Amino acid sequence: MAERLAKFTSAMDRLYEFDREPVSPDKFQSGGKFAGLFAGEHVAATEFVIGAFFVLHGVTVRDLLLGLLFGNLLAVLSWTLICAPIAVRTRLTLYWYLRKIAGPGVTLIYNIANALLYGILAGAMISVSATAVGLLFGIRVPGLDAVLPTSAGWVAIVFVFGAAFTTMAILGFEKLSRFAEVCSPWIFAIFVAAAVAVLPKLGVERNLGNLWRVLSTKVWNGVAVAGQEKFGFRHILFFAWFCNLAMHVGLSDMALFRYARKWTYGLYTAFGMYPGHMLAWICSGIMVAAIGRQMDPGRMAFEAAGAAGIGAVVLAGWTTANPTLYRAGLALQAITPNWPRWRITLLAGAATTVLACFPVFFLKLLDYVAIYGLVLMPVGAIVFTEHWMFPLLGIEQLRAEKRGWAFNWAVLAVWLGTLAVCFLLPIHLYFKWLPGWFIAAGSYTGLTAIQEGRQRSGRRGPVAGGEAPTATGEGR
Amino acid sequence: MKILLAFFSILSLGLCLAAPVLFFLGILPEARFKLALLLASLGWFFLATAWASYRKKKPS
Repeated sequence: MAERLAKFTSAMDRLYEFDREPVSPDKFQSGGKFAGLFAGEHVAATEFVIGAFFVLHGVTVRDLLLGLLFGNLLAVLSWTLICAPIAVRTRLTLYWYLRKIAGPGVTLIYNIANALLYGILAGAMISVSATAVGLLFGIRVPGLDAVLPTSAGWVAIVFVFGAAFTTMAILGFEKLSRFAEVCSPWIFAIFVAAAVAVLPKLGVERNLGNLWRVLSTKVWNGVAVAGQEKFGFRHILFFAWFCNLAMHVGLSDMALFRYARKWTYGLYTAFGMYPGHMLAWICSGIMVAAIGRQMDPGRMAFEAAGAAGIGAVVLAGWTTANPTLYRAGLALQAITPNWPRWRITLLAGAATTVLACFPVFFLKLLDYVAIYGLVLMPVGAIVFTEHWMFPLLGIEQLRAEKRGWAFNWAVLAVWLGTLAVCFLLPIHLYFKWLPGWFIAAGSYTGLTAIQEGRQRSGRRGPVAGGEAPTATGEGR
Repeated sequence: MKILLAFFSILSLGLCLAAPVLFFLGILPEARFKLALLLASLGWFFLATAWASYRKKKPS
């Protein structure tokens, strides 16, 4: 078992070898690069679904606007105050920093969990794209309560898309990736164009005099459709905040911010949040209202923008499923040593395609996004605590690395324990992660302090306290 | 060349946004708006991909 684990972890280390050393100052990137990166990253196929679901959940226009405004602000601040400072101080990816804290065994588990979650997300994107082409062949989108595939036609179209996306991910043509680069601004433009185009259908006058009245009575009218839970300001605020929880509070974006000159570069995430997670969601809400509040992203875009709308849904799915498949493949590569990249991508693509056949993943996308963030959140809380709190409390840092542990059992216990407690918490799924973060941080600190106290009394000797590790050896 | 590609790419994207505004204002009928949006979109992909390729080949 130990030999097998060592084999897996050394294979995983080789994959991330390129990122092993802290980023050197000559590789730091400008703020403009960060703004461009975030602006392009947050306009995805899922935006067609998320904004539309807010309408179906009976949000009022006031709750929507305030919730998105402040929720996205909290997300930007989470990147700026939680993720970017740790990344800038360590100049490491989460993978390597977590390895020092939790040991290679826990990092392997984290990677596998990440691969599974990425796979489901890519599956949801394939499903969304399938709704666009299904429309051309008269294949109906499964109903809101559907869990299993509803027709052979749906399965066939998902398989065609899954096969196409996987093939493109395997081939990885340079020209295709260049084409994908130019998709983001256009997809965003189509969101705006489609929303503007359906305004006359909703009854908006040319002088926009009745715009607010139409939006508050025909789009976000505060009435949930049958079978959907009623959402208010708190739901929207929390959703906008946790939508990228794994990236900010979960610290995945340390991989990006280790290239930032300053921690304040976290503020550049606003260039992704406000166009992608505010304007695009508003646009998809307007689009779904124009087709009688039916969750059918393909029809929504086609009726609003014609063939260009169909293209936007397909390309938004492809451009986001492609890197997601790549990341899932990379994470899986650790447990499939010596497999060529194409075979792993094929495996990830096949699994993702099978998942995409189940409409539940895109029809319950809001809940899935919440679960995705919740599952990875405790790891972010543990790393945050180890980085900032342990030096203040005089607890030794990076014990897994210093003592050569494969598993830091305290990390694993806190991670799983936090998820168990969150599951039992009698509050809405969207709000569970916040108390969960404090539970993870508190219990990890307590457990490690107890462990250290025992070791100290056992050894009767002092244990080195820790200064937060930094790339340059200096604190900020 | 790079400047021309950049200019016409951005122009195409601008047309993608202008077409629905013209439709909303009643200047363009629906069929023409959708055709204009499609053509402007194709223009964007053709020109912006060439622009991106040019930038990769000749970094300035």
